[in-house]
Amino acid sequence: MTLNKQIELSVLHNLAAAETAPEERWADIRKESRSALSQTAFPHRKIEEWRFTDLRPITRTEFVPLENAGAFPVSGAETYFIPESEGSRLVFVNGRYQEELSSTGPLGKGVIFGNLAEYEDNPVVQEYLNKLLNYEEDVFSLYNGALLNDGAFIHLEKNAKAEAPIQVLHLYTDSAKPFVATPRLLVVAEEESDLTIVEDHVGLGNNVYMTLPVSEVKVKEGAHIHHVRLQRDSEEAVHVSRPIAYVEKNSEYHAYTITLGARLSRNEPRVVQEDEEVDFTLDGLVLIDGNQIADTHSVMDHRFAHGQSHQLHKVVVNGNAHSIFNGKIFVRKDAQKIDSFQENRNLLLSYEGLVNTKPQLEIFADDVLCSHGATIGQLDPEEVFYLQSRGMTEEKAKEVLTYAFALETIENVKIESVHKLLIEEVNRYTRANSIQKETV
Amino acid sequence: MLELKDVYAEVEGEGIEILKGVSLTINKGEIHAIMGPNGSGKSTLAKVVSGHPEYEVTQGDILFNGESILELDPDERAHAGIFLAFQYPVEVPGVTNTTLLRESYNTIAASRGREELDPLEFDDYIREKLDLVEMNPDFLERSVNTGFSGGEKKRNEIFQMAVLQPSLALLDETDSGLDIDALRVVSEGINKLHTSEDAVILITHYQRLLNYIVPDFVHVMRDGRIVKTGGKELALELEEKGYDWLDSQTTVNGEVK
Repeated sequence: MTLNKQIELSVLHNLAAAETAPEERWADIRKESRSALSQTAFPHRKIEEWRFTDLRPITRTEFVPLENAGAFPVSGAETYFIPESEGSRLVFVNGRYQEELSSTGPLGKGVIFGNLAEYEDNPVVQEYLNKLLNYEEDVFSLYNGALLNDGAFIHLEKNAKAEAPIQVLHLYTDSAKPFVATPRLLVVAEEESDLTIVEDHVGLGNNVYMTLPVSEVKVKEGAHIHHVRLQRDSEEAVHVSRPIAYVEKNSEYHAYTITLGARLSRNEPRVVQEDEEVDFTLDGLVLIDGNQIADTHSVMDHRFAHGQSHQLHKVVVNGNAHSIFNGKIFVRKDAQKIDSFQENRNLLLSYEGLVNTKPQLEIFADDVLCSHGATIGQLDPEEVFYLQSRGMTEEKAKEVLTYAFALETIENVKIESVHKLLIEEVNRYTRANSIQKETV
Repeated sequence: MLELKDVYAEVEGEGIEILKGVSLTINKGEIHAIMGPNGSGKSTLAKVVSGHPEYEVTQGDILFNGESILELDPDERAHAGIFLAFQYPVEVPGVTNTTLLRESYNTIAASRGREELDPLEFDDYIREKLDLVEMNPDFLERSVNTGFSGGEKKRNEIFQMAVLQPSLALLDETDSGLDIDALRVVSEGINKLHTSEDAVILITHYQRLLNYIVPDFVHVMRDGRIVKTGGKELALELEEKGYDWLDSQTTVNGEVK
């Protein structure tokens, strides 16, 4: 298939090609992205990076701009507010900032956060917005650029410490026609600053919509960022995310991505090492069921010596669900003394579920420690018997073991209400599954 | 209390017969030791009684308090009062000892007509049981058996037994992997727990455990059968003469053939 045919085929290309936002703001970014899009094909399964992913939930849907979608009004937003972020909450509905639902009190000296549009002229925004994106031949980050209209901005000045986690809450409502949301998050943490972000995507109904969140994160020398990403989109939604972080000397970036929702999700987290002595994490937990497809393609790019990285990606698959994992670890020639850990563990609860996993290590340095592993398994009958012999029913034993399997990945989420919420979500998933009796 | 009637059992779906006609009667208040070389079917016997799904009873019957338990799931057998201390206790990361034990205690209590305990009452209850096996209270909040040494795992099994108060305890090689001090602690724990109302089956390779826990009966298994039954002195005789000595003897299930 020719490039032009591919481009024509995608409704999204047409959508992105039309200038929808009348604002002057970011016209250049939109134009630049549109121009790049005209040279970029929509992915298909003959491309290695997409060979396992069924994109029909995208290609078979007529998405329209939000303005034409007939979106329903939002209700019950406060259910999703976390108490720790009272005063530090940015709320978006269908990708658009909502001042009346947000809560932006002072958060400590040198901590600036709010609606990205309001900071259009901020020199930090001018310097970094859209500049940190680095996804080759990627239509989805280009769609986000071509349709860029709103987002969240967080800037920590040198030595600034955010006193509370900042919640970036995305709510998506039902609508008459499927719409596309393209939220953007720009985070710049200057030297020795400290920040916790809770990014939460919630589908309020059960309709089809597509969200293409992009986040650009810059972690400067000695700064620390703890980034929790919770995806609980509607069961018919499409979620394609592009979170990229750059880590400078002595900095730390720890991301925990929890994938629960969406009919189709494709998450491509990337961390790029920009100097020595860094420490970063890209952990993930995926709990899927029914016809869900959850795809994680990650890149951890070690470019300098003395880095430490950690990726524990745990997946539970039930029903006809399909999980895909490709974890790329690059260790460049001069990146000696790297200590990198990667593990992908998959728990298959049904006969119909499917898991594709591909750890991918490309190491060009000769003095590094890289451990990696991938396993796909069922619950261990010996463990089930052990718990049963202690009086638990078979269902309860399986529920407890599934819960225990998932728990390890959320232990490091330190925000109390979010940790509790995640435990509830894991419990709800395991309980729903033990009732189905589909288990092996 | 427990009666095995000519039990034949095989690995489910594989047709490999492991128990080849085991008959055994255990009354309350008794301690029985089952000895025998590797592969003689001792551990299988324990698993079959506790309902391991890997084994299928193809012939014979197992009665517990007069009723057949062959159709009962392992949890239902636990509710009835059967407890298996595992030869290789399973690690369950993410589930703390307290969580497992409270869940177990309360489900078993409910089905045996005992009072369920709330978390505070339960906490008091298990702490007194800890002393019995000289276990550090820290173990309560650790994940079940995760990162425990071999000896700690075995102690934890006896601790669970102390908490759950079974009427029949099957101890599958609880002595293996224990050093002398741990062996003494575990044995004293078992002795303290044993009353005239319950029964214990000790499965072991070695006579040394029986220096601490004195059995009423010793059975020797070979090739899926009980080939000799005697009193505690039989264990000493075996220790001295080895299992080959039995080749010159021909008794099946305690009866001279």
